[in-house]
Amino acid sequence: MGSYIFKRIISMVVTLWFVITITFFLMHAIPGGPFTREKALPAEVLEALNEKYHLNDPLYKQYFDYLVGVATFDLGPSFKRVGVSVNDLIIAGFPVSARLGGMAVLLVMIMGIPIGIISALKQNSLIDYFVTIIATLGVAVPSFVIATLMIYVFSSKLNLLPSHGLDSWKSYIGPVVSLSGFSLAFVARLTRSSMLEVLQQDYIRTARAKGLPEFVVIGKHALKNALIPVITYMGPMIAAVLTGSFVIERIFAIPGMGKHFVESVGNRDYTVLMGITIFYAFFAIAMILIVDVAYGFIDPRIKLGE
Amino acid sequence: MADNKISKDMWERVDMSTLDKEVISRPSLTYWQDAWRRLKKNHLSMIGLFFIFILALLAILGPFFSNFTYSDQNLELSNIPPTMEIYQIDENNYVFMNKEYKLVDVTADGHVNSRLKPVEDNMIGKYRSYEIAGNEVVVDYTFAIAAKNSGDPDAKKFEVQLNGTPISVYDKVFNKTFWFGTDGLGRDLYIRVLFGARISLLIALVATLVNFFIGVLYGGVSGYAGGKIDNVMMRIVDVIATVPLLLYVILLMVIFEPGLKTIMIAIGTVYWVSMARIVRGQILSIKEQEFVLAARTLGASTWRILVRHLIPNAMGPIIVSLAMMIPSAIFTEAFLSFIGLGVNAPQASWGTLANDAVAGLRSYPYQLFFPATFISITVLAFNFLGDGLRDALDPRLRK
Repeated sequence: MGSYIFKRIISMVVTLWFVITITFFLMHAIPGGPFTREKALPAEVLEALNEKYHLNDPLYKQYFDYLVGVATFDLGPSFKRVGVSVNDLIIAGFPVSARLGGMAVLLVMIMGIPIGIISALKQNSLIDYFVTIIATLGVAVPSFVIATLMIYVFSSKLNLLPSHGLDSWKSYIGPVVSLSGFSLAFVARLTRSSMLEVLQQDYIRTARAKGLPEFVVIGKHALKNALIPVITYMGPMIAAVLTGSFVIERIFAIPGMGKHFVESVGNRDYTVLMGITIFYAFFAIAMILIVDVAYGFIDPRIKLGE
Repeated sequence: MADNKISKDMWERVDMSTLDKEVISRPSLTYWQDAWRRLKKNHLSMIGLFFIFILALLAILGPFFSNFTYSDQNLELSNIPPTMEIYQIDENNYVFMNKEYKLVDVTADGHVNSRLKPVEDNMIGKYRSYEIAGNEVVVDYTFAIAAKNSGDPDAKKFEVQLNGTPISVYDKVFNKTFWFGTDGLGRDLYIRVLFGARISLLIALVATLVNFFIGVLYGGVSGYAGGKIDNVMMRIVDVIATVPLLLYVILLMVIFEPGLKTIMIAIGTVYWVSMARIVRGQILSIKEQEFVLAARTLGASTWRILVRHLIPNAMGPIIVSLAMMIPSAIFTEAFLSFIGLGVNAPQASWGTLANDAVAGLRSYPYQLFFPATFISITVLAFNFLGDGLRDALDPRLRK
C-alpha cells in the first residue's frame, strides 16, 4: 500500500509538472505581451513593467522561476489587478468555492444514493418511474439552465430565495442544487442499476435464506458492493463540481474561485489564469488520488500497486 | 454371412418431415443486423434517433425556407414573444403592446407587421397616443411604478384606451412571423435556434470524428503494440485525463481567438482520451485470439491487422462510448459559449442564446426556454440512443 501511494504521488507530481509546463508555454506563446493595450503604453513604462515582472529575462529563466514559485506556493502577481497576487485570489475565493462544492458533493451523497437504492428496491413502482424520469432529465439539463430556472422561479416569481450572493443559508440552496443537479441524477441512476445487479446475486439469496432481516441484507450485504461503481464516479464528480462552479458562481454572483477564473479568462489576466488552472489541476489530481486510495480500502478485491 | 444381409423389407423410409428439424428457420443475422433489430425494438432510442435526424434536417435545410437570417436585426421589433396578447382597434386593425408599452401593428391571426409611430410620446405624463385608422389609441402606463413598488405581481400597470374608453385583451395568438419570438435586437429566435443546432451538431460531428480517428487509433496502437510503447502512451493519457478536460479547453480557447473553429480545435485536442482507454482495453483482449494469429501467419501487416481485424471487432464498445461522448461535447460547447468563450456574435449557439436570455429573464423568459429546451432534448436524444445502442450491442443481453 505504501509503495502504491508513493508511486501515485510521484505520478501526481509528474502530471502537475506537465500541466505547469503546458500552461506556461501556452501562455507565453500568445502574441503580444500582457501589457499590450489598444492604446500603446509609452516605451519607458512598458520597459519598467517588463522589468518589474521579470518579463525581460530569457524564457527558460522565467520558466524555472515560475517552477520554483509553484513549488514554494507562490503563483506570482496578477497582471491586471494592481497589488493583488494570485495567492490572494485563491485564498479569498477557495474557501467560498470549497464550501459550495463540499455541500454539493454532500447533497449528491445523501440524496443520490438513497434515491437510487429506494428506486431499485421498488423496481417498476411509481416511485421508480418517477426517479428514473427525474434522473434522466437531470443528466440532460445543463447546470446553467437549472440555475437560471431556479432564479426565475424561486427568486423572481415566488420571492423565496435570494438571487445572488451568499448571505444566509437560503442563498446556498440555489447554487448547491444547480451545482449538484447533474451528478445527483447520475449517482441516482448509477446506484439504481448497480443495486439491481447486486440484488440478483446468489449471495443475496443466501443471506435472505439464512433469515437475515431485510435491513441487514440490503444495508450490509448488498449496499457494500453496489456502492463500488458510485465510488469510482467520485473522481469525475469532483471534476464536474469543480468546473460547474465556473458558471454557477457567475450566475449567482458568488465571489469564489470559479468567478475569478472566468473573469481572468475574460480580461486575459494570464498569471491568474495560469495560477488558478494549476491550482485546479492540483486539487483535482489530489482528490482523485484520495478516491483511488479509499477505493483500495473499501474493495478488498482491488489489489493496489500490483 | 448371408443371413446378415439386410433384406429390402427391413428398410423403412424415414418420414421426410424429420428433416425439417434441421432447417434453420430464422435467417442468419450478422452482428450489425442483429444489433439494428434489437435497437429498433427500443422505442426511446428510436425516438432519440428520429429526433436527431429531424433536428439535423431542420438545421441544414430550415434556414433556406425562412425569410430571416440569423443576423438580421430589426430593432423596431425587438423582444416580441411567441404568443402575443393583442388588442382590437377595429375590424382590420389589431395591435400588440410590448413590455416597453409600445404598440406593434399585427394581424388578427398573429402576423407581425411593424411598430407604430406614436402621435405623441409623453414621457413625463407617462402615456403614448397613437392614431390608428382614424381612432385614437392611448397607452397609459402611469401605474407602472406604483405597481412595481407594491410588490404585487398582479397589480395593474397600464391601460390601453380606445377613443377614451379602456379596452381589454382581445385575443391571445401565436406569433406567425417569428415562431419563437425575437431577441433584444429583433432577430428571429427560430432561425437562431436552428443556427445553434447547426453548431451543436457540428460539434457533435467533430467530437465523433476526433474520437474515431485519434481516440480509436491511439488506443488501438497502444493496445496492439503493448509493452513499453503501451506503457508510455497510456501514461500520457493518464496525465491528460486526470485534469478536468474543460480546463484544457478553456486554456486553448484563451490562446486562440474565440470562435467556432477554436472550439472545434479545443474539443478535438482533448476529447479522445477516454475513447483511447476503452479501445486499448478491447484490443488487449481481442489481440490474443486465434484469428489475429492467423492473419499474422498469412503475412498481414500490422496496420492491416489493426484496422481490418482488431478495430472492427471492438466496434460495439466504440460506438456506445461515441454516443455517450457526444452529449458531453455538446454540453462543453454550450458551457463555453455561456461563459463567453464560444462563437462570435452575430453567430448563435445554444449556449450564447441562453446567456443572452439571462439578462432579460424576468421579462422575456421565452428567450431562455427555446435554447434550453433544445439543448436538453438533444442531449436526452443522444443519451437514449446511447442507452439503446449499449443494450443492442452488448452480446450478454442477446436473446
